[in-house]
This record gives sequence, C-alpha cells and structure tokens, in this order.
Amino acid sequence: MENLKWRKADFSYEKQIHISKRDYSFDSENAGEFLTKSLTNVYWFLISDVDGDNCPFRPTCSAFLLQSAKETNVFQASLMFFDRFTRDMNIAKEHEHYPRVSAGYFYDPPQNYTLNQGRIKYLPPAFIVDDE
Amino acid sequence: MRKIVPIFFLIPLFALSQSTSFEFHSPENIKKFADNLFCEGDYLRAIEQFELINEKLDDDTVKFKIMLGYSELGFFSESNEIFKGINDKSIFYPDAYLLSFKNQLISEPGLISASSINSFNSLQLKSFNKLNAISMLYGDEFNISRENFISPFDGDEQNSISTFYNYKVEPPYKSPALAGTLSAIIPGSGKIYVGEWGDGITSLLATGLLAFLAYDNFRADHTTRAWIFTGLGAFFYAGNIYGSIASAQIFNARIDFEFNNGLKLFLKEQNYFLPEYDFCN
Repeated sequence: MENLKWRKADFSYEKQIHISKRDYSFDSENAGEFLTKSLTNVYWFLISDVDGDNCPFRPTCSAFLLQSAKETNVFQASLMFFDRFTRDMNIAKEHEHYPRVSAGYFYDPPQNYTLNQGRIKYLPPAFIVDDE
Repeated sequence: MRKIVPIFFLIPLFALSQSTSFEFHSPENIKKFADNLFCEGDYLRAIEQFELINEKLDDDTVKFKIMLGYSELGFFSESNEIFKGINDKSIFYPDAYLLSFKNQLISEPGLISASSINSFNSLQLKSFNKLNAISMLYGDEFNISRENFISPFDGDEQNSISTFYNYKVEPPYKSPALAGTLSAIIPGSGKIYVGEWGDGITSLLATGLLAFLAYDNFRADHTTRAWIFTGLGAFFYAGNIYGSIASAQIFNARIDFEFNNGLKLFLKEQNYFLPEYDFCN
C-alpha cells in the first residue's frame, strides 16, 4: 500500500528484447536427463544454431524435451516430445489456439502435458505471457 | 493612485489570512478532504485520510467508506478486516455484510456458509440469496434442482443463471480415456474428437506415412531402414495417443476456465447484486 501512495512511478519505456542463450551445461540429475541433454546439445550445436530460430513455440521443441524430462521421466518426455513435434508439423496451426509470449511465439509449456490435471494452467489464446 | 488602491485592499486580506488560525487538520476538515477524494474516486488517498480520523470519530459512515474503498481497490481482505469493526446495530451493517460476502466471493471463490441477518430489508435479502446461490456454483458438491437454484433471480438474470447451472451440472467435458482410445484405433481421431482437426490430420498423415515407409522397406528387404521407420512410427503413434489424452485434459481445463471467467464477468456486470452506493450527490 505504502508504495502506491504519493510517489513517482518509475516506468521504463525501453522495449524489452528477450535473447535466449543456449545452456550447454550438463546439470542432469539422472541418466534420462543426461541422455536428452546430450541429444539436445548435439542438435543445438550441429543444426539449430546454424539453421536459426525457426520453432514457432516457446519453449522450443528441444527445450520442451529437456523440460519434459525434468518434469517427468525420459519415456514420458519422449511421448510428450513426439506429440509436440506433431503439433509443430501441423501446417494449419490454429493461431487462435495458443497464448503467446511477448515476442509473438506460441506459449506451450510442458506442465500442461504431464497428464496431471491439477498442473494444467489454461491460458486463453488472447493472453500474452510476459516472460519467455 | 491606481497602484495604491489594490494594495490598500490586499494588505488587510494578507493580514487576516496570517492572523486567523484555521484548523486544517481538524477531524471535520480531514473528513471533508477525504470525502472529496472519495468522490473523485481516489480511494487510496481517501482511505489514508479516513484512517487518520477513524479512531477519533468512531463514525460508521467512515468505516463503511474505508471498507468500500478497499474493496474497489481490490484489497478484499483489508476490506473484510474493516467489516469486523462495524457495529451490528449500525445502519450500514447489512450493506457491509453483503459487501464482505462479495469480497470473499472474489478473493476466495468457493461455497460460503453464511446465514441471513434480521436487519436485512427485502432488497438486501434478495441480494444475499442471489450471492448465496452463486457461491454454490463454486462449490464441489452441487445437489440442487434447477427451480430452486434460479428462484432467487429475476427474469433477465434467470437465462444466464440457467446456462451456468447447465455448465455446472453437465459440463461439456471430453473424455481423456475416449480420446486416447480413439487415437489408438485411428491415429489422430482422438485429437479430432477434442476439436483439434489440424493436429489430428497431421498425426494421421505422419503415422500413416511412417507405417507405409516401414512396410515398403521391409518388403524391399531394407531391414535397417525399415526398423528406423518402424521405431519412428511407433513413437509418433504412441505420442499421438498420449497427446490426445493431454489435449482432452486441456480442453476440460478450458471449459473450467470459461465457466469461471464467464461467471466472474456476469457478476461484475450485475455488480455482485449489490446496490450502487452514492455518497457524493
């Protein structure tokens, strides 16, 4: 309350630019995470970094696999990844289906796909998620 | 001469303003200032001023205004704290009671077990019954007939309330098990069942293509390639079954979200069945 009263509000009018840096470090907690991290690092180094930022989703499909492995296990993460990859291949992706991050990418976190109904955080398509 | 005349008038005024002791910070003047801020809609500063005199004056109008101001600002628990200090004999008590009900409904949506009070007039009792019925919609158990549920509401409101009743009794959920089973039988059909046509057709094409490539390579005796396509196809097939179940769950989360959001909008439009308080005219 005190912060709201009688004070000048410090607004920044600078445009925020989100630059996601690759994290190549191996901070895996188990063999499954180590395996997915290894595959992802190889993919990033040999293909993604050279090919450019082409994934329309955030987190990207490779980051989705990594996060899924952290959230669940390597087998479930693989299924989540193949489902995500199918949705990525869909050329008629419904633009009114996913919420967006501020940079315009579709926001599609792995927490919604763990099959745990309580963990699903539904956001409407018009919603803009602030951070990536 | 023309310069002297205004000075002649200004000197006494200046002297008077310096000599008269005007009590700016008397409770009455603070109240006037706070009332003015309140009417301007500057609730934050109005509350600050009201709280300076709240203890000294012990005025239930001031208390109710603080409560109303906090509620307008979205500080619902603070608003309900003020309610505790309002005397139940006060003329504002029934309104404050309803306002605390509204605050609770917004801050902690759920079934609220509150009982009616004797000092309600007929309109206030009606508002209370409506809010009570609405709070039932947020509860987990919902065993009430349509007639009983919509009876406290007026003609126009009954249509909207009926829709919310239908959502609550028979939410248009999709079955995750059925979505998974359908995708196991025909790849992608579970997604189509959930309404995701594009994803469903993509899945059917991807799985079908990989299955064909696997079959063709086995037939041509290219076993290594055939096994690679078989493995990929199996992952796409299993991933689609998994994804169909997840999509049905997300669909159901969307139904819940739309229900809660729709109800919130409806209540906001109706001002939570509370009267508009006008302390300014």
